[in-house]
Amino acid sequence: MAIKFSTTFLLRKLHQVTGIVPLGMFYFVHIYTNVTAMNGPKVFNDHVQDIHDIPFLLFIEVFGIFLPLAYHSIYGVLISGEAKVNVLSYPYARNWFYLFQRITGGFLFFFLLFHLLNFRFGLIPGLNMTPVAGHAQEAFSIVSTEFQKGWIVVVYILGVLATAWHLGYGFFLFVVDWGFVISEKAQKLTIKAALVLALLLGLVGVNAVFAFVRPCGLLPQSLCESSHVKRTPTAPARF
Amino acid sequence: MSTNEHIHKQKLTDPPKTVKFKIQRREKEGADSHWETFEVAYRRNMNVISALMEIRKNPVTTDGKETTPPVWDMSCLEQVCGICTMVINGRVRQSCSALIDDLLVATGGNTVTLQPMTKFPNVRDLKVDRTRMFEHLKQVNAWIDLDGSYDLGPGPHISSEVAHERYVYSRCMTCGCCLEACPQYSENQYIGPQAIAQARLFNMHPVGKTEMDERLNGLMEENGIANCGNAQNCLQVCPMSIPLPRAIYETNRDITVNSLFGWLKR
Repeated sequence: MAIKFSTTFLLRKLHQVTGIVPLGMFYFVHIYTNVTAMNGPKVFNDHVQDIHDIPFLLFIEVFGIFLPLAYHSIYGVLISGEAKVNVLSYPYARNWFYLFQRITGGFLFFFLLFHLLNFRFGLIPGLNMTPVAGHAQEAFSIVSTEFQKGWIVVVYILGVLATAWHLGYGFFLFVVDWGFVISEKAQKLTIKAALVLALLLGLVGVNAVFAFVRPCGLLPQSLCESSHVKRTPTAPARF
Repeated sequence: MSTNEHIHKQKLTDPPKTVKFKIQRREKEGADSHWETFEVAYRRNMNVISALMEIRKNPVTTDGKETTPPVWDMSCLEQVCGICTMVINGRVRQSCSALIDDLLVATGGNTVTLQPMTKFPNVRDLKVDRTRMFEHLKQVNAWIDLDGSYDLGPGPHISSEVAHERYVYSRCMTCGCCLEACPQYSENQYIGPQAIAQARLFNMHPVGKTEMDERLNGLMEENGIANCGNAQNCLQVCPMSIPLPRAIYETNRDITVNSLFGWLKR
């Protein structure tokens, strides 16, 4: 018998995949770059420079990040609109998690819009007006200047925590929605793993926020000193 | 696996003289709803249905207003038919197995609130029309075609593991608890756990397996399985302890393997 996919079915599957494959993968790269700020402006700026040196960067940015992000967030908001929240009548942990996934998603919709305009494009009047894109060597100072404002730091900490939850629990949702994890026992294990991942992403992310305010972030500075490795400038390659 | 874990059979040590029943009433489908409160003398081992029967004998509210007897559905009175399902103190369950002592111990008061299920058309008072659950079963071909003009011989052997798992799904009584508690379920938006578990029941049968594609197609329609939000309230409220999320995730795997990536082996 011929297989018939409905539009809703395909859109849901695409929503589940875009959350993990382009966006989840990208977030790991993103958080890695942020964490390098623990070792100071030079290391961070060099890592930002490395990203600028990726071939086909604009293509990757548009098709690997912007389009999946736009799709995932807009369709996600539509999905959230379907929810008939009933956590007060049915106060079970996974029902709360269902609600958290939608709350963090809704918050991230606005946060990411702000974050992109604030740093990637530098287009919010009154705040930073220098896009990080194209100004790799100013990246650290752009962020640390912005983080002099307390409310900006609060907004970014909330953004990092919301992302940690949304991506961590999103991994659980992905593996059950695609039928990788089935039994109750396997679900429990996966949820634990997802929550541990969320916790780690949250801790590492929050520390990375503080790395732009204070060397090594919230950790003792002695942890970061030993890893200060100066890059030796390499001679331009000859062809 | 017990199917009565939600019935605690607790005893009130100091029961009240009377119990109040706050009932959400509606004259007919589409009419506005209103609340009426009745008072019933407490009796040992009372359940919601026996209380409703008392109210029916003398339908006078606590304000002294004479009213019509409340309407509700009931049949087996032993939690196997599912027809008496309603929302009791905010939680969906069968009224025949809702013991007054249990309810009062849980709330600490002497009032029990009764409402009809909200996800189905409300016929009158506590009675709802659950036709759409049977439409969902049709959508997923929840049966096995076994018509032949001659004797087909004995059916294929089923291993005891599969038989045991199928038995659990076969206990579904189409009561509607899972749909009522599901935050994703509403008409035309999501087919709900009940039909998915029944599709799974027949997909697990060696003869039923031959029509799996038809069932999966039914589940991939606009209101299909992909609308599940994994809140898993269905698992918590199912009076038959059916592992509904498991049925959904098994079916997700069938869809991934047979439908999404099925073209890789053709």
